[in-house]
Amino acid sequence: MRLSTHLNRNRRPLAIAAALTVGAAALVPMTAATASTSPSPPPAASGAPSDKTFTVGISQDVDSLNPFKGIVAEAYEMWGLMYDQLIGYSQTDFTPVPGLAESWVESADKTTWTYTIRSGVKWSDGVPLTARDVEYTFNRIINGTKEQTNYGSYVANITKVVATDDTTVVMTVGTPSPIMESLAVPILPQHIWEKVSEKDALKWPNDPSVEGGGVGSGPFVLTERKKNQYLQFEANPNYWAGAPKVAGVDFRIFLNQDSLAQALKKGEIDMATGLDPGVFKSLQDVDGITAASGVYTGWNYLVFNGGGALEDGTPIGDGNPVLKDKAFRIALSHAVDTATLVDRVLNDYGSPGTTVIPPIYPTLHLEPPQVRAFDLTLAGQLLDTAGYPLGPDGIRLDKQGKPIKLRLIARSESQSSQQSVKFMEGWFEEIGIDIETEVVGEDPLYEIAGQATFDMYEWGWVTEPDPDYQLSTFTCDKRSYVEDGTTYANLSDTFFCDEEYDALYKAQSIETDRAKRAEIVKQMQQILYDEAVYVVTFYYDNLEAYRSDRFTNVQPQPLPDGSMIFQYGTYTYRNVTPVSDVAVNPGDGTGGSTSSDDGPNWPLIGGIALAVAALGLAAWAIVRSRRDTASEDIE
Amino acid sequence: MTLLGESVGGGLPPQQVGAQGAQREVSAPGGLGRYAVRRILTGFGTLLFVIVFNFVLFRLLPGDPIGMMTRGKDVDQQQLAELRRQFNAPLPEQFWSYIRNPFSSNLVSLQSGESVWSVIGDSFWPTMLLLGVSTIASASIGIWLGIHSAWGRGGKFDQITTGSTLTLYSMPEFWLGMLLLIFMSTGVGPFPGFFPSGGISSPGDDLGMVAGWLDLAWHLFLPALTLTLVYLAEYSLVMRSSLIDEMEQDYLKTARAKGLRDKLVRRRHAVPNALLPTITLVFLNVGFVVSGAITVETVFSWPGLGYLTYTAIQGPDNQLLQALFLLFAFAVIVANVIADLIVATVDPRVRA
Repeated sequence: MRLSTHLNRNRRPLAIAAALTVGAAALVPMTAATASTSPSPPPAASGAPSDKTFTVGISQDVDSLNPFKGIVAEAYEMWGLMYDQLIGYSQTDFTPVPGLAESWVESADKTTWTYTIRSGVKWSDGVPLTARDVEYTFNRIINGTKEQTNYGSYVANITKVVATDDTTVVMTVGTPSPIMESLAVPILPQHIWEKVSEKDALKWPNDPSVEGGGVGSGPFVLTERKKNQYLQFEANPNYWAGAPKVAGVDFRIFLNQDSLAQALKKGEIDMATGLDPGVFKSLQDVDGITAASGVYTGWNYLVFNGGGALEDGTPIGDGNPVLKDKAFRIALSHAVDTATLVDRVLNDYGSPGTTVIPPIYPTLHLEPPQVRAFDLTLAGQLLDTAGYPLGPDGIRLDKQGKPIKLRLIARSESQSSQQSVKFMEGWFEEIGIDIETEVVGEDPLYEIAGQATFDMYEWGWVTEPDPDYQLSTFTCDKRSYVEDGTTYANLSDTFFCDEEYDALYKAQSIETDRAKRAEIVKQMQQILYDEAVYVVTFYYDNLEAYRSDRFTNVQPQPLPDGSMIFQYGTYTYRNVTPVSDVAVNPGDGTGGSTSSDDGPNWPLIGGIALAVAALGLAAWAIVRSRRDTASEDIE
Repeated sequence: MTLLGESVGGGLPPQQVGAQGAQREVSAPGGLGRYAVRRILTGFGTLLFVIVFNFVLFRLLPGDPIGMMTRGKDVDQQQLAELRRQFNAPLPEQFWSYIRNPFSSNLVSLQSGESVWSVIGDSFWPTMLLLGVSTIASASIGIWLGIHSAWGRGGKFDQITTGSTLTLYSMPEFWLGMLLLIFMSTGVGPFPGFFPSGGISSPGDDLGMVAGWLDLAWHLFLPALTLTLVYLAEYSLVMRSSLIDEMEQDYLKTARAKGLRDKLVRRRHAVPNALLPTITLVFLNVGFVVSGAITVETVFSWPGLGYLTYTAIQGPDNQLLQALFLLFAFAVIVANVIADLIVATVDPRVRA
C-alpha cells in the first residue's frame, strides 16, 4: 500500500530536522543570506548532467527495486516510472483513469470485472505486453506468500484471474469491491519474472546488474543504480501515453536537507520535494528557482486513549478513565487552537484539521457542518457540566474527586510534534488539567500505543486515495492483539469500537458506486468527529522547489496546487520539458545551451592543473629542504 | 607533501632504530614479546565483553521495529508473526547463534534483507578512504604546525597557528562542512563553486581509469578537507606541548654544543623524542576512523559507514546497528592494541 511508504516519508524529513536542529537553526539565516547576495550561479557547473535530463534530489535511498520487497516511498516512485498499473489516478482529483487497461466494466451481478488491455504496448526489451502478463502478475500475488506483503490487500477479494485473449482480463471477486478500480499493482513481465522462483522472489535485485532486471513498460527505463548514491532512468520513446519530453530522469540521494538545497541552488539537481520550512524559505527568492507549497495527503493528530482494549474487548493499558468519557474529549477538543498550530508550527504551510480524510480528496472529505471552535471558556464550562469541577488548587477533579493528571507524548523525531505538544500543554493547563509531557521515539511510541499505556500523544497519517485503509484504523478488529503472550499494536490507536461505524465500514467496502460510497465515507467521518476520537490538528503542505530556469511544464496533482512529484502517477516526469526546447530563440542558431556536457570539462581540467601545481610545489620544497640539510651536514 | 617528508619520513626512522638499539640493552630480553602477548590477551578480553554487552544493549532497546515498519501497510497478522519469528527468536537461542559467530552472514538487515556484513562491506571502503586521507593530512600538517609553533614558542606563527587550529577544532563538523559546501560548492560572491555538493562519483558514463580517479578525488576534497581542518588542532597541540617539554632537556644543549645547526637539532634530536604521544594519538584516531564521521558523511552524502549508521538509526534497523556497533568497538580495540604495541616498541619504559 502506498500509505505506509508515504508515512515513512512523512517521518523522515522531520527526523532529519530533529537530528540537525541546532544546525538548521544556525544555518537558516545564513542560507537565506547566501540566497540574496549571490546571483544564481550558472547551472552549467560541472557535475550537472545534460540539460535534457531532469535530476531530482531525494532524501533517502530506495531500499529495493524489487516490487515485492521495497517499502519506502522512493521505491514506489521508481516503480511508477518503470511499470504501469491497470488503472491510474487522475491528475485533477485522483478519480480512476485508464492505465494499461483502456477500459473496464463491472458485471451486472457485481461478481466479475473485465479489463480491456491496450494492444501494441511493448516491454522495454521489445517483447509485446499482453493480457497474459496481467494474468501472471495477479496470479503470482494471489498464489504467492512473499509476494503478498506489498499487494495482498488488493487481491484478498479476488478469487480468479483469467486472460481470455491477448487484450482481455477477467477477474472474479468474492464480494462486490470498489478497490477493483484502484488496484495499485505494477504489472510485471511474465517472461522475466517466471524465471525468478518464489524462494528468490524477495532476493532478486531487479536492477541492471542481473539479466532482465528492471524490464518494464513504464515511461522510463532504469539504466543504472549505485546504492546510496543515485539512480538513472532513460525515457521510453514508445510509451503508450506519449514519449516523455526529457531524455531521462536521475535521482540523487542527499541525507541532509541543507546540502540538498545547496545542490538545487547550484543547479546540480533540478527538483527537490518534502523540504523543511526553513530550507524552503531559503529557496523562495533565488533566481531561477520556483518554490511552491502544495496541498498534501498527510495530516497530524492528537489521540486520546479512549479505553485500551484487545480486539476481543479485553481491557488493557493504563489510560486515564476520564478519556473514555466523550464529553471530556469534546471539551478538550475545544481547547486546541488548530489555526494557531498551522500558523506557528507549520509556518502557515497547511490548513487546520477537522476529519480523518484530508480535503485533498474533495469528493470524500467531510467538512463537519458544525466545527468545534477554539474556546477555552466554553471548554471549561463543558468540563463543569460533565462533572469535572475545579479543585482547590486549580486542577480539575475526576468523578472520584482525584485531581486529573494526563500524560501527553511528543515524538523525538519531529520538531513539529514537540512544538504542537508544547502549545497543547499550555491550553490544557489553562482549563485546569494537569499535563505531564514526555518526548519519545516513534519506535517505542508504537509499542506504547499498542499496549495502551498512554493518555494522549501526537502523530500523523498519510491517507491514500482509496479511503478504506484509513477508515479501517477505527474499527473494532484493528485494536491490539496478543500473540505468544506479547501484546502487539494493530492499526487502531484510539481503541474506538462502535457497531454502527463497523457496519458502515463494511458497507463502503462493498459499494462500487463511487457517489454512494462517498456518502457512507462522509457519515463515518461525522461519527468519528462527533466522538472526538482524534483532534486532527492540521493537514500539512508538501514543500517543493525546482529550477524553473531550466525546466517548465511541471504538473501538480491534484490541480491546481498539489504535489509536483511523489504523486499517484507520473504527471510531472512525463510532461516536464527542458526550457531550451520550448524557448527556441529565432536568430540564435547555436541554441544557447549553457551545458558543459559536450564541451571540455573546464573545472576538471582546472582541478588537474591545480593538483599538478601543488605536487610540483611540494616536490620543489622537499628537494630544497634536502639540499639544505645536505649542505649543513658538510659544514 | 613537504610536511610528510620532513616530520615523519625524514626524521623518524633513523632515530627509532637508534633508540631501539639503546633500549634493548636496558630491558630484559623478551620483554616486548611478553608485553605484546599480555596486551593482546587483554584486548581479547575487552572484545569478549563488548560482544556480550552489545547483545544485551540491543535487547534492552524498547520498541517493536517490525510493527513500526509495517505500520500503514496492510500486512496480515500471520505475516507479521512470521516476520517476528524470523527476527525475534527466543533470547537464549538468539544469544547462542550470536555468540557462536557474531560476524556470521546469517544476520540479515531488517531493511534491505541482505546480510548485514555485506551491507557494511559496501560502505567500508568509502569510509576508509575518506578518513584515511583526512587522518594522514591532518596528522602530517598538524605535526608540522606543532613543531614549528613549539620551536618559535610565543611568536607570531605560534599565536596564529594555535588560535586558528583551536577555532577550527571547536567548530561542529557538520557546521564547518556546511560552510565549506556553501562557499566551495555552491559558490558565494567571489568564491566560485568548484566542488560537487555530495556523493562519491558523478552519475553517468563510465569515466575510465584516470578520469574516474580524478572524479573521486574531486568528490573527496570537501569532506576530507572538513575533517582535516577540524582535527588539525588535536595533532598540532599535542605535538607542540611534547616538543616544548623536550626543548628543556639537556641533550639538546649537548647537540647544540656539538655545533649542530638549529634545524638539525630539531629534526634529529628533539622531534623524534617528542613524537611518542602523537603516535599514540594517530593510532587511537585510526580506531575511530572506522566509526566514521557520521555528521560529515551525512552533510556530503558520502556513502560510507557513517551514512549507513544514520540510515540504520532512521530505519530503525537494529540488526544492522548491532553489527555496526560491534565493528566500531572492534576497530577501537584493535587500534588501541596496535598503538600500545608500537609505543612499547619505541619506548621501553612502557613495557614494565
